[in-house]
Amino acid sequence: MPSMTEAVPLSWVLLLAGALFCIGLFGALSRRNTVGILLGIELMLNAVNINLVAFWRYLEPNVVAGQTFALFVVTVAAAEAAVGLAMIIAIYRSRQTVNADEVDSLRG
Amino acid sequence: MAWFLQNAWLIPLLPLLGFGIITLTPIQRNRNASAWLATLLMVGATVIAIGTAVEVAGRVVVGPDGTVSVAGTEAHGADAEAATEIKAGHGYEWREPNIVRTIRWAPAGGDEPFTMGYIVDPAVAAMLVMVTITATCIHLFSVGYMAHDPRQARFFSFISLFSAAMLAMVMASNLLLFFMAWEVMGLCSYLLIGFWYDKNYADPAQITPRQAAIKAFITTRIGDVLLLVGLAWLWTEAGTLELGAGPGQVFNPALLERLATTATGTGVSAATGIALLIFGGTVGKSAQFPLHVWLPDAMEGPTPVSALIHAATMVSAGVFLTARTFPIFEASEALPVVAAVGAFTALFAALIALGQFDIKRILAYSTLSQLGFMVAALGVGGWVAAMFHLLTHAFFKALLFLGSGSVIHGMEATVGHDSNTSQDIRNMGGLRRFMPVTFVTYMAGFLALAGFPGFAGFWSKDEILADSFRTNTLVWLVLSLASLLTAFYMTRQVMVVFFGTFRGHHPRKQPHTTHGDHHHEAHDPHESPWTMTVPLGILALFAVFAGFVNLPYDGYHHLAEFFAQEAGKFNVLVIWVSSAIAVLGIGLGWLAYRNAFASAEDADPLQRLLPGAFTALNRKFYFDEIYAATFGAAAGVLARASTWLDERVLDRVVLDSGSFTRFLGQVNFIIDDTVLNDGADLLATGAQSAGDGTRRSVTGKVQDYVALVFAGVVVLGVIYLYVVR
Repeated sequence: MPSMTEAVPLSWVLLLAGALFCIGLFGALSRRNTVGILLGIELMLNAVNINLVAFWRYLEPNVVAGQTFALFVVTVAAAEAAVGLAMIIAIYRSRQTVNADEVDSLRG
Repeated sequence: MAWFLQNAWLIPLLPLLGFGIITLTPIQRNRNASAWLATLLMVGATVIAIGTAVEVAGRVVVGPDGTVSVAGTEAHGADAEAATEIKAGHGYEWREPNIVRTIRWAPAGGDEPFTMGYIVDPAVAAMLVMVTITATCIHLFSVGYMAHDPRQARFFSFISLFSAAMLAMVMASNLLLFFMAWEVMGLCSYLLIGFWYDKNYADPAQITPRQAAIKAFITTRIGDVLLLVGLAWLWTEAGTLELGAGPGQVFNPALLERLATTATGTGVSAATGIALLIFGGTVGKSAQFPLHVWLPDAMEGPTPVSALIHAATMVSAGVFLTARTFPIFEASEALPVVAAVGAFTALFAALIALGQFDIKRILAYSTLSQLGFMVAALGVGGWVAAMFHLLTHAFFKALLFLGSGSVIHGMEATVGHDSNTSQDIRNMGGLRRFMPVTFVTYMAGFLALAGFPGFAGFWSKDEILADSFRTNTLVWLVLSLASLLTAFYMTRQVMVVFFGTFRGHHPRKQPHTTHGDHHHEAHDPHESPWTMTVPLGILALFAVFAGFVNLPYDGYHHLAEFFAQEAGKFNVLVIWVSSAIAVLGIGLGWLAYRNAFASAEDADPLQRLLPGAFTALNRKFYFDEIYAATFGAAAGVLARASTWLDERVLDRVVLDSGSFTRFLGQVNFIIDDTVLNDGADLLATGAQSAGDGTRRSVTGKVQDYVALVFAGVVVLGVIYLYVVR
């Protein structure tokens, strides 16, 4: 039985990652709910993680840099989610809404 | 005992005060008040002047520290002894003044500041007395003469200023102050000659008061400029203009010596140059040939003004200038020129006087002639004689002018207020019956001027003739001839005016007047009021007796002693010749004119005898015409050339530069409007719309920003992929 790398070419994995990124981007841009936006961002980060792991596995299996980067991203994503959720709660407390369209105090 | 000397500054101040009060206060609305105010102030000045003269005669000297002392007379006697040794004809020594009072006026560059102040010495004192007495008489006379003039207050303010200027000039302690007062007089003469500035004549060729005033002002200005140049030269050479013989003063012997030896580029010494320039001032002010033309036309002013100009002020100022600066003349070689100009003017003016018909113009030319005598006397070194004649002449000439004013005033009752008719001697005749006081006083003035033995003019003129006989026979001959003519023309005037039959009821037809109304015909000429006859009487006394202050006999030279100068010598030949000349002249005049005019239209006997020559005399030797054809035409050409230059060249330049500037302005406007203005606007609106545009992109929505960031990443990726790679 051929190895996984031979059975599934790299491009398929990259396509999956690209698709996931696009779904995440779409979610981040189109969702009005702030929690939805956060979810989209998580998706994009995970798409990047897939890329990192895929490049490591297919191109440089002897170096651990890809896995390490992926782990870092997961850690940062967790922290980001925590901070993001905290901000959403703070916004909700001050504005009684989590709708991103209504939070536009940066408008020029 | 020296109160008058110490307060002599009041003398010019009182008339000046009169001028100020009349000009500045409402008193000017009251004609009589202003007239009497001016007259009374003048009387006050006269009193102080006489007191000053008495103190000067008493040899009272006030020192610089205010100490009063009496100078010893024996010192002057010793001087007189020494003076007899001086070359004949140089008879002037500067004497220490009786009082000098100055104030610091301005820094002058050196250690000493320029000072202003007054000096009283015998010459000044004599002039002060003469000026104040004649001016007082003239003021009093004017009260009557100007009684009907609406501008009486103005008249009195002017003549007060005139007298004040003359008195200030006489007393001036330096030549600059002298010059200032001199110029004020020039101004007053202008104002007074043109006093009737609205008067016009039917004949456009006849000179009007306006023109006469301008003529007098400009003609004397020529002399004034020369004088000013002379004073500037003296200042640069000497560094001082102060009168006096001490160190740092203009008559300092060392300075005069230096001036006399300083050579100039023209071959004469600096002293001669300065003296000639100063004499230029005299020629202008005293109306000597060739600047004599203004004086006869100055008759256009009111008659008291003529008297003032001819006797008390103005023309005396010119002679006094030369007399005052005489040490400079003595140090120079200018005296022959002075003598020549004086003698020539004396004869020349006497000739013209023969051919005049205007009573005032005859007197005007006689003044020219007599001033010529004075100048000639100075020219031959007869300082005392010149001053003596200046004083006596002032009295009898003031008398004659006021007398002629009285005659004119009386004539106006008959022929009306037309000066061409009322001043024409051919329209008079027999006035002695109508105006006895005027007649008697006029006769005194006439005999004095004609040099009839015993009268004032005889003694002073005789002294001049004696001085000139001793030094310059030619001058003596010319002056003797002039005295003969003087006696002749004065006899002519008196015979025609006061004797014979009265012709005023049928006056000469004026060639240019059309109106023939003689509504005055019924009236005879009348005697003038007391304000006019009293001054005549006072002046007549002087005309008769003033000569006795300086008889040419030893022990009677009171005036020379007063001046502390060398007296003239008694000369038997001269005194007999001048007596004979006076009698001869009067006799000839009587012969020629005792029945000359039966009617006003008759021709003059001289005219019948020598028609051509008489016309030349009547036209004043055509000097006005000659000046008009030469200097007048030259001035006209210059004026036209200036106009051409102005219109064609300067105006062109100005206009062209104007339009060029305008063009530049247009260009500037276009640049400004299109580039700077619109450009700036464009920048501003651009920035604004750019700002508006960008503002719209800043929605404040997180997702928009994310989308933009993503777009940016995409663009960067595209650039990386397709451009960098």
